[in-house]
Amino acid sequence: MASVEERQSIHLSVNGREFEADVFPRWTLADVLRHQMGLTGTHVGCEQGVCGACTVLLDGEPVRSCLMFAVQAEGQEIVTVEGVTPDEGLSPLQEAFRAHHALQCGYCTPGMLLTAEALLKRNPHPDEEAVRAALTGNLCRCTGYQFIVDAVLDAAQRGGEK
Amino acid sequence: MAQAMRPQMMGARVSRVEDPRLLSGQARYMDDIQVPGMLEVAFVRSPHAAAKIVRIDVDQARSMPGVHAVLTYHDCPVLLWERDTYKVGQPVLAQEAVYYVGQPVVAIVAENRYLAEDAAELVRVQYEPIEPVLDMRQAILETPRRVHQHAENVFFHKEYSTPGFEEAFNQAAHHLSATFRTNRQTAVSLEPRGTAAMVDAASGRVTVYASTQSPHRMREDISHFLQIPEHLVRVIVPEVGGGFGMKANCYPEDIVVTAAARKLKKPVKWVSDRLESLLSDVHARDDIHDVDVAFDDTGKIIGIRDHLMADGGAFPAYPFSGAVGETSLASRVLTGPYDIPHLATTIDCTYSNKTPLGAYRGVWGPIASFIQEGIVDRVARALHLDPAEVRRRNMIQKQQFPYRNAARMIYDEGSYLESMEEALRLIDYPGFRQRQAEARRQEKYLGVGISVFVEPTAMASSEAGSVGYESCTIRMEPSGKVTAALGLGPSGQGHETTMAQIIADQLGVPFEDVVILHGDTDSAPYGGGTGGSRSGPIGGGAALVAGRQMRERLVKYAAALLEAGEADIELGDGKAWVAGVPDRSITIRTIAETAYTNVKKIPEGLPIGLELTARYLPKRPVTFSNGTHIAEVEVDPATGVVKVTRYAVVNDCGRLINPTIVEGQIHGGVAQGIGAAVLEALRYNEDGQLVTTSLLDYLLPESTDVPRMAIRHLETPSEGEGGIKGMGEGSLIAAPAAVVNAISDALEPFGGMVDTLPVTPKDVRTLVQSGRQG
Repeated sequence: MASVEERQSIHLSVNGREFEADVFPRWTLADVLRHQMGLTGTHVGCEQGVCGACTVLLDGEPVRSCLMFAVQAEGQEIVTVEGVTPDEGLSPLQEAFRAHHALQCGYCTPGMLLTAEALLKRNPHPDEEAVRAALTGNLCRCTGYQFIVDAVLDAAQRGGEK
Repeated sequence: MAQAMRPQMMGARVSRVEDPRLLSGQARYMDDIQVPGMLEVAFVRSPHAAAKIVRIDVDQARSMPGVHAVLTYHDCPVLLWERDTYKVGQPVLAQEAVYYVGQPVVAIVAENRYLAEDAAELVRVQYEPIEPVLDMRQAILETPRRVHQHAENVFFHKEYSTPGFEEAFNQAAHHLSATFRTNRQTAVSLEPRGTAAMVDAASGRVTVYASTQSPHRMREDISHFLQIPEHLVRVIVPEVGGGFGMKANCYPEDIVVTAAARKLKKPVKWVSDRLESLLSDVHARDDIHDVDVAFDDTGKIIGIRDHLMADGGAFPAYPFSGAVGETSLASRVLTGPYDIPHLATTIDCTYSNKTPLGAYRGVWGPIASFIQEGIVDRVARALHLDPAEVRRRNMIQKQQFPYRNAARMIYDEGSYLESMEEALRLIDYPGFRQRQAEARRQEKYLGVGISVFVEPTAMASSEAGSVGYESCTIRMEPSGKVTAALGLGPSGQGHETTMAQIIADQLGVPFEDVVILHGDTDSAPYGGGTGGSRSGPIGGGAALVAGRQMRERLVKYAAALLEAGEADIELGDGKAWVAGVPDRSITIRTIAETAYTNVKKIPEGLPIGLELTARYLPKRPVTFSNGTHIAEVEVDPATGVVKVTRYAVVNDCGRLINPTIVEGQIHGGVAQGIGAAVLEALRYNEDGQLVTTSLLDYLLPESTDVPRMAIRHLETPSEGEGGIKGMGEGSLIAAPAAVVNAISDALEPFGGMVDTLPVTPKDVRTLVQSGRQG
């Protein structure tokens, strides 16, 4: 096993692209995504695994990228907010967030979007209770959640259509 | 002179221009600022609440590979505050002693944060701990000792009384007393604080990226404390992930980071982690109020006596002491929306060995509302009257405006009683009382809490360390596109949208043609920043005045170029035309081209180009928003758990710029209010250690803690520009009182009333048990 003092070469699959990176084993996935790969849409809010701002999808499941090391993510498909954003314009879920004013400062927004993406994949027609339950792991200090819940419900109802 | 345009964008539910970048992960927050060679800082912070520093040994840290500098007080000898203001100022790095857990002592500058933290562990500081001063009431009595040897603990004392207070108070038929306690809370912006500084080798100018609400104030502070001429400092505020008053201060770290960048001639960045933020962001709401109330048989309140105490922490936060702000302003709006003729207040703000107290959204408001609404409910319970009815009997009536309250604050017109009646309808108050009675028969405890609030907004001085006016520069480019800049410091409020709405209406150009700049002292005119609910009424007012002045200039151009009278010119849809003769028109674009490139055609008396700056100072020193919140809760007496189940808001902030954004502000404030009421508390142990240093300990409301809210708007315009009143704080001012009054109402069969914020499940259990014993 490599020493924690030495850099390791790792291979990450992020947003459908392959990346090579030299990382120290103690570097978190969030730090490597942000600072080695320039994917700064993933935000760090607490580094305690509570706030959910750093949420990314790992093989489709929302995880805290502040609570895992980059070396642990090898061999898995990572999706960040940049990966769910179309080349032109916004995704239906992002459009719904905009239409419903589901964001203010925007810091929690990428994590919210990814958690909601995962929910809608698992449960395409959630009711309000299911949406609220799914979002409990993502803290928002600005919106009081109501417009976020509305946006997710609206996106679900539209079934991915714009 | 043309008629003012009928507003089209003002008042419309426009989607925000900020959103696409935020939704796609393209926004640039503090930690996204990265330039080649940038170093990062970690701070060594005090582990003691109070201790003498015997020795600081940084040799090992300094020699660690990857470390560029280790700074102590001697490398950055700056005190926040001039000593004469509150007699003490915080050294940006601790000098001979430490005064609170988390106080910065040593700064490590290294190649990255990981290495900086490694090096921080190699710093050896030898402390001699002394007994900390932690109890507010004791501290006021200088017990067990003074926090600062050369200053009394009470650093702010003030007394006020209405003439004839004692006589009126003593003659009243009824009296009651209560002590209200608010525990320490803090803003917890999801993006922590941060600062980055770099020196431009060519010009010698210093660029400081700061996550702040007050860009110009930050420039002044850095210029002043580090003695850099102001024009050689540029403050840039990147995207700010929430501020809520907490980012209105200049902090020690801002100064140290800038000093380090100058010393090392390298870009240097510091971003707080959550542990640091809970320790070192300003705290708020550490207040005790000893209250006596006099009232008559009908429930009419005659007088309030209040001893207001606040624990300001170890130093006055710079440039705004939260303890002084919370108490002195609470003392002035303590009578809220009620016509209470007599008031006597005594204020004591004390030092302690805790984190400095600063601003958190609402500052004094949530405390004052909690007390004022708690008083009304206590009067109602004492006289067996309905709480809504007691409010009706005390409410300031329409014909009393402008109303001078017992603390001599002048209230402009509002909709106090209407807002309450409308909110009672929204929540179906009579229906609720029936449900409550039925539920009680099944030993279920529902409660409803009413909170009628006033929100003093757009005050000349606010927690933003602010000026009373705001500035707006409008530059119409040669193509007719518009660039406008304001001195505001938004952190999610959507100013790029709302200010563009206002300006587009004035200039008659499409909303998309207006771009709003802010947060860069090189492009924005000097302004007061964002805080104290000033951006809408004062910033919006400045945008309106600047827009009107630019409009007047466009009209002069159009009149000259169309050979018509100015009074006949109308503007809209990117054109100017002669009223009633739409064919006689000219595009705004052509006017703009003329102003810059066809200067011979510029009408006489007009300057070349289309650029101007307007400053707007409201005539009134304050304008009052108002409204009513009603919360419905279910309390489980067995577990003490409170669930907020229904919520109604009637809000009046004058003319609305964008109702959707206003509703977003209300939702967020209510969520914070629920946190303030039942979840959020910064707790110190007996050694002065803050024991709530993670978000697992300091609990924020989650999506399942906040109910769906019903909102109605009333619009009583202010007398200021656009009729706008501020509204950023009102919802957090009102909500805690609504929730705790609802809890008291639910627990009415047990007898007690909530007197503490937050009220935890344990507190609820205590209320239930003491009631059962009683």
